[in-house]
Parts: sequence; C-alpha cells; structure tokens
Amino acid sequence: MEKCSVLFQPDNKRVSVAVGTDLLTVARLAGAGLKGGCGGEGTCGKCLVRVVSGRTETEGPPARDGLSVACRTFVAGDLVVEIPAASRLDGQQVLIDLPANGYAAYQAFTFDPVCKKISLALTPPSLLDATGDADRLALEFKRATGLDISFGLAGLRALPAALRAANWNIDVTYASSGGAATAIAVEPHDAAKGLWGLAIDVGTTTVAAYLVDLATGRIAGKAGSHNRQAAYGDDVITRIIYTDETVGGLTDLQRAIAATINDLAAALAERRRVALSDIRAVVVAGNTTMTHLFLGLPPANIRLEPYVPAACRFPPVTAGELGLDIHPQAVIRCLPAVASYVGGDIVAGVTVNGMAAGEPLTLFLDIGTNGEMVLGNRDWLVSCACSAGPAFEGAGITHGMRAVPGAIAGLEIDKETYEVSYKTIGDKPPQGLCGSGLIDALAKLRQAGVIDRAGQLQQELPTPRLRHGQAGREFVLAWAEDAAGIDIVLAEADIKNLLRAKAAVYAGVRSLLRMVDLDLEAIERVYIAGGFGSYLSIADAVNIGLLPDLPAAEYAFLGNTSLQGAYAALTSTAAQAAAEEQAGRLTYIELSVGNLFMEEFISALFLPHTDLSLFPSVADDPMKIREESIWQSK
Amino acid sequence: MAVQIIKERNTGKINTVAIGATKEQGGTRTSIVTVGGDAALPFLHFEGEMPHKPVIAMEVQSRVPAQWNDVLKQPFADVLGDPAAWAKKCVDMYGAELIYLKLSGADPDLENQSPEECVSIVKNVLAAVGVPLIVVGCGNEDKDNVVLPAVAEAAAGENLLIGVAEQENYKSVVAAAMVHKHNVIALTPCDINICKQLNILITEMGLGLDRVVVDPGAGGLGYGIEYTYSILERGRLGALQGDKMLSTPVIATVGYEAWRAKEANAPASDFPAWGEQSERGVLWEAMTATALLQGGVHILVMRHPEAVSLVRKNIGALMVPQAV
Repeated sequence: MEKCSVLFQPDNKRVSVAVGTDLLTVARLAGAGLKGGCGGEGTCGKCLVRVVSGRTETEGPPARDGLSVACRTFVAGDLVVEIPAASRLDGQQVLIDLPANGYAAYQAFTFDPVCKKISLALTPPSLLDATGDADRLALEFKRATGLDISFGLAGLRALPAALRAANWNIDVTYASSGGAATAIAVEPHDAAKGLWGLAIDVGTTTVAAYLVDLATGRIAGKAGSHNRQAAYGDDVITRIIYTDETVGGLTDLQRAIAATINDLAAALAERRRVALSDIRAVVVAGNTTMTHLFLGLPPANIRLEPYVPAACRFPPVTAGELGLDIHPQAVIRCLPAVASYVGGDIVAGVTVNGMAAGEPLTLFLDIGTNGEMVLGNRDWLVSCACSAGPAFEGAGITHGMRAVPGAIAGLEIDKETYEVSYKTIGDKPPQGLCGSGLIDALAKLRQAGVIDRAGQLQQELPTPRLRHGQAGREFVLAWAEDAAGIDIVLAEADIKNLLRAKAAVYAGVRSLLRMVDLDLEAIERVYIAGGFGSYLSIADAVNIGLLPDLPAAEYAFLGNTSLQGAYAALTSTAAQAAAEEQAGRLTYIELSVGNLFMEEFISALFLPHTDLSLFPSVADDPMKIREESIWQSK
Repeated sequence: MAVQIIKERNTGKINTVAIGATKEQGGTRTSIVTVGGDAALPFLHFEGEMPHKPVIAMEVQSRVPAQWNDVLKQPFADVLGDPAAWAKKCVDMYGAELIYLKLSGADPDLENQSPEECVSIVKNVLAAVGVPLIVVGCGNEDKDNVVLPAVAEAAAGENLLIGVAEQENYKSVVAAAMVHKHNVIALTPCDINICKQLNILITEMGLGLDRVVVDPGAGGLGYGIEYTYSILERGRLGALQGDKMLSTPVIATVGYEAWRAKEANAPASDFPAWGEQSERGVLWEAMTATALLQGGVHILVMRHPEAVSLVRKNIGALMVPQAV
C-alpha cells in the first residue's frame, strides 16, 4: 500500500501512513494532541486542522475559516498539517488544588500510608541456621512490625541476590492491608532514599495527580493533564463503544491512560528529582468506566441495559501489570465503585467531605461529564447519576471549551444595548466559553431578555449580535476582532444543549429527594466538587435552575474531591477502609427505572423551572415589558 | 342510615374564557360563547359549580378536504368548496355553537392561498354566521406566522380564538392576539409540563391567562386516548389545587383525531366484522368526544353532524345535576 508522510505542526511530529487514512487517526499515531470529541464519527466538529500543504480528500461539508475536519479528511499525498490552538488537547488548568474553604469540614484520617519502608538487619545464614532467605526475612519483619509478609514470584526470584548484595542490611518496602503485608522491594539500606506515592484522579476529561512523600504525607508536587483517551472520544460511552467495536480497542484505551499517568509521573518526578523507581504506591480514584479502562476490564456492559460493571471492588495490582513506568512492583489501588455510573471518584468524595460522618443532611454534587450526586448523612446515603452530558465541559457546544486560558468564565449583557462584556481565564483573548461561562451566559441572556424561558432566542432585537448563523439563530458574545479571529457565538442549539444538561442535574437532585420523600428545604448543606468550583457563580446556577434555590451560605465548593480522596487513601489505610465502607453503604438509585426522572427532567427543561415556586429567589420575568414595547412600536 | 357523600374541597378553578363579541362589544357576532369556570372535576356538580357547559365547534376548512372519506364529505357535499356556505350549514342545520375554521388552503404545498385570500375567507365566514369563530393556521409555521397576524388584524374586535401557538413558535400568534384582542390556542404534545411551560411563556409576553385555551394534544379512540385522559386529569387536578398556569380551558380536535383512525376509514369489505363504515366513523368520533368530555374538555372540535348530535345529547345529560 502506498505510504505518505504527514508532518504535524507545531509539534513537529512526523508519521508515515497509508493513503486514505483520516487525519484524526494520523494525529493519534503521531502522538500529536488533537481533540477528537466524538471519536471520529464526524459529528462534533472539534478536530479542526489546517492543511498547510499537500493533497487531501474530504468528505462532507467543508469546515469554516479554511480549516478541515480531521476525521473526515483523508491523506492523498505527503502533507504538512497544522493543529490550531483551539483544536489542541491542552494539558493546563486541571483542578488539582485544595479548596480555600470547606476543608475544615473534611474528615481527618490518621497518617498511615498504604506503603511503608522498614530497615532490617538480618543475621546471615549459617550451618547452624539454614533458614531460607524469605523465611529469614519474614521472621525479622514480623518481629519488627507484627505483620506477616508475603512475596510475589518476581520478588522471590530476586531475593537471594538482593539480600547478599546488601550484605543482609536491607530496606523492605511493603504494602499492608488488614494485618498482612506484601513485599514491594528489598534493597540495600539507604537512609537517604525516599519513598513516594501518587494519588491520582482519573477523570474522563482530565487526569490530576499529587506526588506524595510517603514518609511524611507531604504533597511534594501537583500536576494535571488531559486524559489521552480523549483522542478516542469525549465521553465514556464513545470510549466504551470503541473498546467494543475496535479490535484491540480496550488495549488502546488502557495504554492511553497508562501513558497519561506515566507523563504525569515523569513530570512530577523530574521536578522533584525523584527516581521513578522510588514511586511505590498509587491510589487511583475514577469513575467506574475509567477504573475499568485503567485496569483493562471490559466495560461493555456498563453501557448496555441493565448497566452492569465487571466489578465494583478492585484487587490491588502492580505497576508492571498496568504498564506504569514506576517501580514495577509498586502497589496500585483503585477506590471501589458503587455502580456503573457512581464510581470511585464519588466514593472518594464521600470519604473525605465529611458528609458520611456528620448529622446535617448534605447534598454532594459532582458535575463533570456525568452529573453524580449523593444525598444523606451519617445514617444513610443515596446516590444517583444523571447523564448531564459533557455540555458544561464545553463538548457539544459550538464554542464550548474547557476551563483553560482564553475561556470566557463570566460575562455581563447590557439590558438596553445588548453589549457584552466578559472575563476570560488568564485575561487572554476569548477562544470560547467554559462551563461557568456557559452558565453565566444562559443566566445573563435570560436576564437581558434575549432568550425566553424555553431557551429560544428572540426573533428580533435591535443588535447585530442576534443573527442567523450556519446552524440557525445565534447570539454573538465576542466579535472576531476581539477574539482569536472568529466570532464567539452561542447558537440556539447550544442553549438547548445546556438546558438539557442543567435539567438533568436538577432532575437528578429532585429525583433523589423524592425517592427519600424529602423537600429541598431539608437539605442543610450542598457540597460541589469538580472543575467548576472556583469560577461558578451560585447565583447564576440558581438563576438558570441548575442548582436548587437554597441560601448561598449552604453552598461550599470542595474542589477536586476525587483527588483528595485518593490522597487520603494513599496516606491512610483508615481512609482506604472508610472508602470501602462508604462504597458498601451507598445506595444506588437507577434513574432509568420508571418515569420519575423523565417527568422531573421535562419540568426542569425551562428557565429556571416549570414550577416557578421552586425558585422563589429568582426575580420576576424581565421579558414582559420588553415584548410589549416591541410589538407596540411596530 | 343515609350515605354521607364526601366532597372534595378545591382551592382553584378553571379560568373563564369568552369567545366572540357582539355589536355592543365591538364585534358583529349574534352570540358569544363562554367556557370554563369549573370548580370541580368534570360533571361532579355536587362538588363544585360548572357554570358553562362544554360546547361543540364544527370544523370548516378553507379548501376542499380531498383526504376526507366519503362518509364524512357526504353531509357537506354541496358546500365543501365554499367555506362560508359550509359554516352556515353547520350553524343553521346542525346547530354548531362555534365554527372552527382551519385555513388549510394556505399550505404552501397545497393551494398556497395568500394572506389576503385567507383574510377574505375569514371575513366571508364571519359574514355568513353569527356564532363566534375559531381560526387556525395550516400548520406550516412560516406561513402561519404571516397569515394569522393578517387575519387577527382584519378581524379585530371579533374576539376570535386563534391558533395555534406552540412552544417552538408562539410569538407571532400571541403578539397578534395581544394587539388585536383575540384569544389563543396553546398546543402542546400531550405533555403536562410543556403545557404549563407554554402557558408561562405566553403570559410572560403579556397575554392574559383569561385569553388562553389549551390543546393538550388529544389522541383518538384506540390511539392513545387513555394517555390524553390522564394528561387532562392531571391538568384539571393541578388547576383545582390552585395552579394558575394549568387552569386554562381545554380544546380538543376530536374530528381530526377520530377520522384519521383506521376504524373510521376502512371499508366494510376489508373488515366485515367491523360493520358498516358509515356508522363506524360517526361512532368513532362520538365515542372519542364523550371520552374526552369526561376528561374535562371544554371545546370539542367535531366534523360529522350525526356525531355532533349524539355528543350534544350526551352533554345535555351530563349537565343535569346528580341527585346525591
């Protein structure tokens, strides 16, 4: 078959591929970071590239501004392709910091890391004491720690040489759980050598990690990046389909997440001058699908009714088994899941946010690609997941983007002139809107009377910002000359998408409440986790009916509780045990059973809600007077 | 011992909507029709008043309804080409209390009648009959958005019931009704939430709730009528419990739903066991209407005179207060 060379700019990555290969696949092969929202279905229009030189063949309508849709553009000759900034998988702005507020409410756990090191001086064997090497070590180990230690086959194979090379003066790294210990490494004693662990939140979109000094529990470094699986699709469903329908698909995705973690580990290790082989424990919190993909468990049934995961509790495994470039015997623990759509990330959150230990009735919301929520207190916990879709992460929205520099995070719309002023992350020229910006836009468009309660744009307004675009009516939020060359718009279809996303979240909350027969007023605190946190305005979110109309004081942003939970479980076996316990206690409610959720969903498909009495604080409608004046002036 | 009848006490009631205007009121109608005002579930006279009886509007189209079957066309064979004469026949011979004029000929895919032609048809019908008029568009949104405002303007003062306003397209017709003082039909697809949402949208434009009649999207007998019934019931219960946005009177296009059923159209030769087609269609329409009456429909839009007469008899019987 004829081969062509494709060079990707600005990464300067070159790859040789067969004629007829689509550019999204080529970009994946080259390791060039290109968004692939729909996984190559040709539906999302996010994988836009610029063909600088060379011949291609395209399918479907051309994209705008001289760009090509990569998954619908096929190699027909040697090419030079540029990936514009807006199409790049970007490694920035992943939520890894502890929140400024609310931390006091967290559950504190005793420091007792999952992986420890102990120095032992063994008595060398003699004719009088010819005990085997492993037993000799185990005896001394038990004397020192009270624990029984066991070795893996690889460890045993290396043991005799290791003991002798160390002259019987050794450091033993081990993982312990429930009175038993597993050896990770046996090495010559070296007091200067550290012991490190990684706490990792594997999100569908982003992956965040802490490098932790396991001698002290101190967080030595933080890093985040895009989940490389995104090249195979934006959401879990697309990725599950990929594992199901592509030969070797599960391996591709397992390797993609392993590679993502390896990159993070390498970056953190380099920054702190830590040897990768000194990283010997990893705790991973992720949603159920992410955990399946990380472990290489087949996730196909998660997608299909009755939505069954392969497992909710995961055995400890070693780094070598998963292809992680840290110590090959390093222990990897994944936090347990509750059900197919309530995973270890939520269990992590419940473990650290304190709701499971206190009296106040707490609603815990994690609004990510999926909207998961937990309601309860120390006596009971119920959870559900609603398919909010990735709209709040920018997917499926014309100019949606993640919360990276250049994203509009908040805006104001003048009620008279309809002029827009906005605030972007990093004060960069706007490239699009992130979740908080989208929520703000919805609220402000409503307040300015640009959209009605059903999310429809007005027919006409005295502003050029309201216009007919490629996909129907749209409202221009930023003009091309102020933005990165293209008008940033919110189209009517985008608004409908957002409306569905917010309705799903609110309907989830209402469904949970109705399942336990409680009113909204019964909720005493609302904890919000996820990437929204710092930018989201509660008032806006209430205004559009995303969050329940409760006093602002009851809300707290907790940041990335999945990562915090992973950190807790890494540094405290008690937290690990608590996570196991919470996973067992959480009652999962499947919303696709019965009509309850659908009813709630339809009534929430309105701004703020069909039942306006649920939103007493949302001011009276601004549109009435305006409409009248428009019609009278005609 | 006498049986104690337990009565439900309701805090809300259905709105009253008046259609048509007499000379004194600025129109040219000889009668007006008022619907709604119910303070109880349908026909439970002992629980709450039901001041206005349900009414029957007979359907007239602005083009010859070629798709209607012969049974249905037969009574109007002499007038099908003349909407004014058709309307007059409905009122004079069959006692229609309102005329429901569907401007089907405006459809761009059919006669594509211009807004001016539609206006003149409406005026002719107004001149031919004294009863109030319901005027609805052809169903093509863009065309209706031109035709209905023109009709509303030409018939200013007549206090029409015009439609339809739908969630995706309600502004033109609502604005036209506001400016020219007409009432509006709010049509939703058999969904109580969307029904309520549309009422909110309409009233937020500034049209009073006493000018809105909802069409919650009926299903014909055998084609989802029980679902329609449950929507009607939920809406009525909501209204009685005080939900203003659900307290609008209800219109149902009974004739349209019934006469598109297979049972109304299949010839007896295809299904001998079903009996005569001529009776079947009529009964199908009458049964659909009486079932919907029980759900609380206020305006029944009907087609066949025999079905109309059966249902009128049924309404009369239902309006006699029960002895409890």
